[in-house]
Amino acid sequence: MEEAPEKIEIRQRFPSWKEMLKPVKKFEEGRVSYLSLPKQVDSEFFKMPFGDVERSLDDLKLPDNWKEIFLDAMKETLEKNRAFKLFMDICVRCGACADKCHYYIGTGDPKNMPVARAELIRSIYRRYFTPAGKIFGELAGARELTEDVIRELYYYAYQCSLCRRCSLFCPYGIDTAEIVWWLRRMLSRIGLNQRFSTISIEASARTGNHLGLLPGGMAGAIQQGLEELKDITGFDLHTYINKKGADVLFVAPSADYFATPHWFVMLGYLLLFNELEEKYGITITWSTYASEGGNFGTFHSYEAAQLLNSKIYKEAERLGVSFIIGGECGHMWRDKHQFINTMNLPPKHEEWKRFWEDPDLGEIAEGLRGIRFDSYASGEHGWIHILEFVAALIEHKKIEIDKSRNDHWVATYHDPCNVARGMGLIEEPRYVLRNVMNKFYEMPEHTIREKTYCCGAGGGMLADEIMDLRMRGVMPRMMAARHVFKKYGVNILLTPCAIDKAQFPTALEYWKIPIEVGGPMEMVGNALVLTAFGEKPEDRQYDLRGDPIREGSGGE
Amino acid sequence: MIGILFGVIVPYIAVAIFVLGVIYRIVNWANSAVPLKIPTTGGQQKSLPFIKRTIYDRFDSPYTWWETAGRMLLEIFFFRSLLKNTRYYLDRVSQKDARWLWLFGILFHYSLLLVLIRHSRFFLQPVPSFVEMLSDIEAFKGVFIPQVYISGLAIVAALFLLWFRRIFLSRERTLSLPSDHFALILLLAITISGNLIRYFFKANLELVKELLANLMIFNISKAAAIADQIEPIFYVHFLLACFLLAYFPFSKLMHAGGVFFTPTRNMPNDNRARRHVNPWDPEPTAPIFTKGITVAGRTFKSKKLDWDTYYEMYRDQLDEIAEGDYMIVPEEL
Repeated sequence: MEEAPEKIEIRQRFPSWKEMLKPVKKFEEGRVSYLSLPKQVDSEFFKMPFGDVERSLDDLKLPDNWKEIFLDAMKETLEKNRAFKLFMDICVRCGACADKCHYYIGTGDPKNMPVARAELIRSIYRRYFTPAGKIFGELAGARELTEDVIRELYYYAYQCSLCRRCSLFCPYGIDTAEIVWWLRRMLSRIGLNQRFSTISIEASARTGNHLGLLPGGMAGAIQQGLEELKDITGFDLHTYINKKGADVLFVAPSADYFATPHWFVMLGYLLLFNELEEKYGITITWSTYASEGGNFGTFHSYEAAQLLNSKIYKEAERLGVSFIIGGECGHMWRDKHQFINTMNLPPKHEEWKRFWEDPDLGEIAEGLRGIRFDSYASGEHGWIHILEFVAALIEHKKIEIDKSRNDHWVATYHDPCNVARGMGLIEEPRYVLRNVMNKFYEMPEHTIREKTYCCGAGGGMLADEIMDLRMRGVMPRMMAARHVFKKYGVNILLTPCAIDKAQFPTALEYWKIPIEVGGPMEMVGNALVLTAFGEKPEDRQYDLRGDPIREGSGGE
Repeated sequence: MIGILFGVIVPYIAVAIFVLGVIYRIVNWANSAVPLKIPTTGGQQKSLPFIKRTIYDRFDSPYTWWETAGRMLLEIFFFRSLLKNTRYYLDRVSQKDARWLWLFGILFHYSLLLVLIRHSRFFLQPVPSFVEMLSDIEAFKGVFIPQVYISGLAIVAALFLLWFRRIFLSRERTLSLPSDHFALILLLAITISGNLIRYFFKANLELVKELLANLMIFNISKAAAIADQIEPIFYVHFLLACFLLAYFPFSKLMHAGGVFFTPTRNMPNDNRARRHVNPWDPEPTAPIFTKGITVAGRTFKSKKLDWDTYYEMYRDQLDEIAEGDYMIVPEEL
């Protein structure tokens, strides 16, 4: 892992507009993503144009007619995506978005202002697609497409985490994520892909998940979770995998099978599923084929996103489930909320159709009658967020909660960008947290909910080689975390996002804020009383991390 | 001769460019597909009944058609997104108001609206009573002689304020292209010249009105005759305005029309209730990549990982899971 420098200096520069049109030639260390290798983009299951060549930024090895290909791809994009076309045309450069970007705040690089990031490609658009740009050239803010410009486009397209914070503040709703996403798609047509995200895309296209876990590995990981839970709770728990005829398919980001602190969330899922099955008879299955909720394709292009998320509805159909529950993940929920049922045909099998005609959980398990999803979901989509699900269980008093088991935690909640701004899941996690723990505090108002700051690692920015960028991008969030740490003594930062959970431990260490990271489902798992197994609220001695819950308790 | 050129030919051309240009741009946008439903959600989604949504949530994360329309109206009439503006300071955790841009923007656009409404008196006979009334109100009729229209002065002030932002704020200076300055200068020239001919170098406005009336009914010979009688100073204002009309469709000023098309604002956040169909991939039975994409004459095709392929590849491990009846239990130690 590359280390970020000990000391960060934020040098703000304000060059002239002319200089802004010139491509940057010197790239900062720790901010350039590696280009993909042939094994990632020329693989059997993920074959990208001109992926068979090993490239570096110094030697792009572009195909002969790269300019034509790139401009064709741009023309296609303008026809295929109104948002992109419109955002090329209507920006007035008012500057409202400029200081909304965490990467701009952290780096001070003027081209990291969302508007400037968009101008990089807008200047090409003007030159080749508008009369003003063709006639007046530079004066109209247009510039020639050269190899240096391509290099610069790559550099800055992969310094955006697609978090859409700028879009929220833009008076026209110009969404830099949309521009950058489609720009990355254009770059992929001339053979330029980012290594970090394509490693995962390729693995997911081949094995079903980003980590490249084979069925046995995944089953083994879950099994280990059950063993840990046996140590913690003393009960023999179980779960299903690839089970036909189960009621629900559960899809989590694959990091939950291995990584820490994702792991504790995984244990939380397993506790909940066991309690529900034992008490109400609802069966929830995992799948090895649809073993990835996350979708790094959404960092790359429409088609790559579709390639990865196409498996899940197919698996729901094969297993004959009634609906799908999705786990804790950020960009997964932009994909699953906004993309999946457009990119794919929703399932049409009997069980699915029957359930969604009258989507009351009572149709699956009598004891759960009254929990309905038809106020916002239908069989044309069929996904429920795990925290919505838990919120409903709590509201309808279907599970027993002992809040005091979380008394050793003082928590704050980070809204993942895609969940907040691409879905609107804001109150449900808070509802759950207030119900499963006593000490929960919010970070400052302008850093949470829809205004949440990105963790600085989304959108494919979790790569180790851009550690400098990551540690700078996470700064606003870290300052907010430090604020609640000092003010309320917060000791855990909860977030329902796998990338956050990977980024924050490194970031908190870097910014020297001594707090832990976890997910809301971990807190649910701690507080959940397994009444169906005969557990009493005071029985549990250890939390899911294996630490004693009460002072003086559990000590051997 | 000057009259014919400046008073008849130029305005006809300008209006023609404006109308055709705006139609072209709008049709052009409308022809571009909307592949995905991508509203930027700025508030709580509509979900389970007990999760309460405030009135703000309903507009910022709209679920119904009406809520979406409400969001658009708030955006168009009150610049709601700009009103949320905050400025980030490295040394503080609190937020600080940075709504000057909103204030200047509102000041400019509403002044412009009033100015345009007042100008409708040149085109309409008789002048509608609400135009008279609005003009009287904004001039505080009877206070100043001659009447001073506040909007005419406010628009100049607002334009200067907006321009000063671009000149004196370092970030905005970096971002501003020549075309951004140009649009402001053009508008300033039009509004200042307009004020000048109203208060200092008075033009014969009765003649102007007659000219426009004849232009509108294409009575060209009469219009040309009238045009020759109007004072030259009027044409400074008039020609600049004509230029603005012709410039409008090809510039960023088209944001006035574009804001209605923004997919991140004009789509409801009801993805899970209603499926959005992508016009260029309406029946996605298989991923596009597995059908192959063609770039520069070469086709790149990814192999499809359907269940059968997957099963073939990992048969042993999958069979082992099946042997355990698809159930995972802790290993017996």
